[in-house]
Amino acid sequence: MGSAANDLQFDGDFPIHGGQLGQLIRDHDWAATSIGPLEDWPQSLKSVTQMLLLSPVPIVLLWGEDGIMIYNDAYSGFAGGRHPDLLGSKVREGWGEISDFNDHVMREGLAGRTLAYRNQELALQRRGRLEPVWMDLDYSPVLDENGRPAGVIAIVVETTDKVLTQQRLVESERRFRALTHASSDIIYRMSPDWNEMRQLDGRSFLADTDSPTIAWMSDYLLPEDRPHMQAAIDEAVRHVRPFQQEHRVRQADGSVGWVFSRAVPMTDEDGRIVEWFGAATDITERRRTNAHLRLVINELNHRVKNTLAMVQAIAMRTFRDAPSFEHAQEQFGARLVALAEANDLLTGERWAGASLRSAIERAMRPHQEDAARVALDGEDVRISPKTALALALAIHELSTNAVKYGAWSGEEGLVSIDWRVEQGRLHMRWRETGGPAVAPPTRRGFGSRLIERGLAGELGGRVSLQFEAEGVRCVIDAPMTFVAPD
Amino acid sequence: MAMRVLIVEDEMTIAFMVEDMLTDLGHDVVEVAMRLPEALEAARGVDIDFAILDVNLDGLRSFPVADILAERAIPFAFATGYGVAGIDEAYRGTPVLAKPFMLDDLRRLVARIVGECRPPHIQ
Repeated sequence: MGSAANDLQFDGDFPIHGGQLGQLIRDHDWAATSIGPLEDWPQSLKSVTQMLLLSPVPIVLLWGEDGIMIYNDAYSGFAGGRHPDLLGSKVREGWGEISDFNDHVMREGLAGRTLAYRNQELALQRRGRLEPVWMDLDYSPVLDENGRPAGVIAIVVETTDKVLTQQRLVESERRFRALTHASSDIIYRMSPDWNEMRQLDGRSFLADTDSPTIAWMSDYLLPEDRPHMQAAIDEAVRHVRPFQQEHRVRQADGSVGWVFSRAVPMTDEDGRIVEWFGAATDITERRRTNAHLRLVINELNHRVKNTLAMVQAIAMRTFRDAPSFEHAQEQFGARLVALAEANDLLTGERWAGASLRSAIERAMRPHQEDAARVALDGEDVRISPKTALALALAIHELSTNAVKYGAWSGEEGLVSIDWRVEQGRLHMRWRETGGPAVAPPTRRGFGSRLIERGLAGELGGRVSLQFEAEGVRCVIDAPMTFVAPD
Repeated sequence: MAMRVLIVEDEMTIAFMVEDMLTDLGHDVVEVAMRLPEALEAARGVDIDFAILDVNLDGLRSFPVADILAERAIPFAFATGYGVAGIDEAYRGTPVLAKPFMLDDLRRLVARIVGECRPPHIQ
């Protein structure tokens, strides 16, 4: 600009230079406007026009009562599609969409007053449609030769980009705040090398850190985890990439918890880390649940293996003892059903213990056709799952025998089961009456062995099985560990 | 050669199967213990050549039984559905039968534990 000023040639032409607008002003038909032809312009108008044409700042002069518009190249950039029609137009018509605003400007300016607006928003139509435009506007009166205000000069600096950027920033900041409030995560900020924790919002799970501290590792981490954590931090810092770890933390209440923590580096234009911003989720409960689940799965796996071994044992014994293959098949199937029934009972009780009465009832149900031919008498107690399973299998064997040879083989017989609990021992009796006369079996089979030796062994008590002429009797006397209801 | 065997197994059906299998192999099952107290008593007092131990006896571990047997220099093996992971650190070298198992598995196991431990046992 300085060199351009040196080149000014005052050859009498007006205006001189002034770029595109200088040329347009020289060529304009001013005689058609209220200002009159160029050569008649008063000196004051010429001076101001020349001044604004040489200025790099967007300036517009509004001359006379009509506010005839004379402006420079910088202003034409601001005017967009409205240029060049604006030149020489009356300001209230040239900018028809804001005629009220400009009417006010004209009246104030011609009254000798100045106006100043900062980031003034006006809706202008510069590219075919109305859009908000923000401007810094400074108006001052221009005096004529008689010292009276004859026009208004305006410096128009558009600030739309600045305002919109600021608005976006405020909005983003607001959204960020909402996000951190909406999240239940712990939020933290670390120095570029992680030596210092700048801030941590612990969400009452961890203690808060409100001012920068270099003792954060001893505050939040367990000593034995620090080398491992330091290595992960060093790795993230060295490669300027997100830090991500599942690790233990010292909770606000002093106990040990677990978090899933992830932090991203925030960098400047040169790619240098200025801060780490991180969020950590409390996963203490999730880890506890997972550990419990693993335990349950292991236990379940063991039980399945054990159950398969029981099935194997039942199969071997059944097929070995049976007089025929068909007989064995039927007996094996029935024993599996009994095992499954007992298992149902236990899963229904979540393996925590079962009701003695329902264990008996369920074991008998597949065999008993008429509820009137069973008599149960005893106070219900909760027994351990294993006791329930053993009893169920024994009762299955007794029931099978009753259907084949005993009380349930004819039309009349009755099975009575009664029990009582005395001084931590269970006394239980199975008695069959009304059936055909019983002859002791010539050979003791799997059923007898299961009842006499098996049940006795499992319960740690005595079990006697007698084949009396009146009917089968089975007497159980065993110590019991009763299970308290949940 | 017939061996005198102790079976510790809390599930009666399985206990009888192991008893039958060992009998079929020509051994003499001298005791079947289904609960920890009976198992401890048998381990202390019964004259046996080897033992097969279930690991879980109605929620209780059978390792105290193993301790007594080890002290008496009586060889033994574990039979378990838990696999090797369920075995106490001190008994990691002990033979393990994974349930369910076949007669041949049992035959090989008996040969192994008796073979391994025969010299010190027989003196």
